[in-house]
Amino acid sequence: MLRILIMVMALLFLSPLLEGILRKFKALVHSRIGPPLLQPYWDTLKLLGKDNVRSSHSMLGPVPAYLSLAAVLLAGLLVPVGGSAAFAGGDMILFLYMIGFASVCVMLAGMDSGSPYAFLGTAREMMTSLTVEPVLFIALITAALKTHSFRFSDMAFYQQSSGTSLSMIISGIALLLGIQAQLSKLPFDIPEAEGELMGGPFIEISGPTFALYRWGFIIKQLIFSLILVQIFFPWTFGLSGLWAVLAQIAKILVVILLVGLVDVVNPRLRIDQAMIYYFGVVLTALVGLVFALVGA
Amino acid sequence: MTKQDILSLLKAKLGAGFMGSTEPIHDQLWVEVKPEAVVQAVEILHRQTPARYLVSVGSDERDIKKRFAVYHLFTFDKDHFFITLDVTADPHTPRIPSITNVIAGANWSEREIRDLLGIQFENHPDPRRLILADDWPAEVYPLRKEFDYSQKPESHPEQAYKFKDNPPGTTVVAMGPYFPVFEEATYFRLYVEGEKVVDVDYRGFYAHRGIEKLGDQTLTYNQIPFMAERICGICGFVHNVSFCKLVEHAADIKVPRRADFIRTIMLELERIHSHALWLGVAGHIIGFDTVLMQTWRMREPIMWLCEKITGNRKTYGMNLIGGVRRDIPRTLVPEIRTKMNNMEKEWLAVLDAVKDDTTLRMRLEKVGILNKEGCHEWAAVGPVARAADLDMDARKDHPYCAYDAVDFKVITADSNDVWGRTVVRILETLESFKIVNQSLDALMELPEGDIITEIRQDIPAGRIAISAVEAPRGEDVHFLLTGGNNRPERWRVRCPTYPNLPTIPDMVRGEQVADVPIIVGSIDPCFSCTERMEVVDVDSGKIRIYGQEELSSWTAKHS
Repeated sequence: MLRILIMVMALLFLSPLLEGILRKFKALVHSRIGPPLLQPYWDTLKLLGKDNVRSSHSMLGPVPAYLSLAAVLLAGLLVPVGGSAAFAGGDMILFLYMIGFASVCVMLAGMDSGSPYAFLGTAREMMTSLTVEPVLFIALITAALKTHSFRFSDMAFYQQSSGTSLSMIISGIALLLGIQAQLSKLPFDIPEAEGELMGGPFIEISGPTFALYRWGFIIKQLIFSLILVQIFFPWTFGLSGLWAVLAQIAKILVVILLVGLVDVVNPRLRIDQAMIYYFGVVLTALVGLVFALVGA
Repeated sequence: MTKQDILSLLKAKLGAGFMGSTEPIHDQLWVEVKPEAVVQAVEILHRQTPARYLVSVGSDERDIKKRFAVYHLFTFDKDHFFITLDVTADPHTPRIPSITNVIAGANWSEREIRDLLGIQFENHPDPRRLILADDWPAEVYPLRKEFDYSQKPESHPEQAYKFKDNPPGTTVVAMGPYFPVFEEATYFRLYVEGEKVVDVDYRGFYAHRGIEKLGDQTLTYNQIPFMAERICGICGFVHNVSFCKLVEHAADIKVPRRADFIRTIMLELERIHSHALWLGVAGHIIGFDTVLMQTWRMREPIMWLCEKITGNRKTYGMNLIGGVRRDIPRTLVPEIRTKMNNMEKEWLAVLDAVKDDTTLRMRLEKVGILNKEGCHEWAAVGPVARAADLDMDARKDHPYCAYDAVDFKVITADSNDVWGRTVVRILETLESFKIVNQSLDALMELPEGDIITEIRQDIPAGRIAISAVEAPRGEDVHFLLTGGNNRPERWRVRCPTYPNLPTIPDMVRGEQVADVPIIVGSIDPCFSCTERMEVVDVDSGKIRIYGQEELSSWTAKHS
């Protein structure tokens, strides 16, 4: 129980730091000074303190926001940290459901707001999750095939105990290519598309409700980097103890900065152009699966 | 084609419809035609000659000539002259045939004349309101002479603007009246099917300031340049030069050569910072904020340079009729050169980065197509026309200031799309560096201090002038009919966005919603020019008020 509590706290209060680092990094590429490292915390605090202005069409109100954040947190509890997950009662199937459910909540919120921008954004969100979430699914299935287990903790140990596996690496790469879209980063922030849809599904959402969605997104960044680093690229470079932990943190930073770099050097694609890319990523993931089936 | 050829062609074809012609200034041909012959005359010019439509100007001349007048302005770019068709409308029930069915580009001009002067155009395909607010009372025409500029008519909120009906199976996505990436108030009403744009309707002019009215009624020739500069917050100097050129043309005032070169330098500095600004905004529209941040960083030293030369970052207040107010001292020339070289180096790096960026090209290529024929039909100007392989540039076609003395290329592209417009603007900026450097050479040779011609006589009434100045967004055209009381009888501003903006529906039809903002952005729309509205740049920094004495001592020190 204590571990679960610590993990929830860690997810909630460490993930904004990652976002702060990401923002600083973007500012560096922009030749800007950028916001203070702790700005994401202040942003969240400020949003939480605001009035909750709602669309008059809205029937669900903030409910999808609570559900989405809860789903993301539950998914986070399943991710192994230091060898085992905080919540031992679930496996990758539950994880996939929770991640999928969080996207469904965003779509619900979009449909609920009654704005044409939100409808367009929701349609795009739907297309994106229908093509990108299978990447996560296939990659994890590949890992499950290799380890003969649906549990993340088994997957995390696999490469360390039985050596680097080609299919796992390929799946990891596919996942890395896919999380750009999963995290709504450029060039794939198409559902929100600030320039044309002004936030898409979130256009009518403000204040504390918006803070929850944003917080969920920021936590998702941490979760996806953790999955990548723990399951697909789990090498510790022969380090142990505190050094191994530091190596893991460094790897998480590398993943996040890679995502940030792609985000900052690309314009937004159109949804039709992005779909072509997504199919490529799905294919890459399938290649990984095929390799796993033949035993590589 | 020479002026003589045109005259004989018109005379032969129009017969009795041709009423006479004059040549008020060397680069102008003035042809009076009967209202019933105007459509035919326009057809001849538009379809059988290389003439390019500019704008139509309405004028209330009931006091001086007992008529309303409509002037249709055309230019012969390669023969360097303008031709004006002068049509008279009845002073009591003004009504003339519409030419919009021949030239689509006349649509807005005619609606504007109808809104402001009450001249009706028969057979106009889209006679809805253009300029006046929705609640402006019917049959109150603000540009008529009896309407006082300070008058506020009663509001009629029950009048509503009629948008096009939804095509079947479409939903409306509104971009505007306030839309984040457009920065100014404008309304594109998109009729979409899924992601595809089926049709689009436009409503604008939310912030019409009536600057032309002020020019006709309260301001004097010497005040208008400062008002003209406030038409736009980005290319204000262009309007300023356009107006000064008009009066200099009409009254035959010779500007000192040094002033010509100083004007050229300021015009090109404006082009450089405007294109840098545009590239940043275009990047921002498609989510590429790195471009925005970097180009605006590069632009900043140019703004500081402008401040050093003129005393202001923007809205320089440099121009007067007859010359400029401040000299560029020789001691400043090396610094300008250094800034130019630095920016040129950085700009070449931008060019390199942009031209090989595949994602960027995916977004910009084959989007927002407007070809040569489309440009001719809508009278599109500037980078939009040049990206459609039309070699058109007022700096070459109607040389003004010192452009006859500097060497530069007119950049064109043949891809007809947003990418072409981007390339044209980036390469054009490189030409601007060349022009500034050549002008600086000239400044080193010409005697310092000879920057303004004093005007001793009054500006004669009844003179006519047209000026075309190449703004960063395209050609800016001003028209002037001089009047008594030291002010114009009619002054008309046609900014480059005015002909470019109506092309948007043609460009976005069939494209995706995601492409609309960048297509609109690709014409570099300047709604403030179009609506002749002021953009106020509020500096949040410390404000210090300088006293008269301090200012005088400063002027003394720096002059």
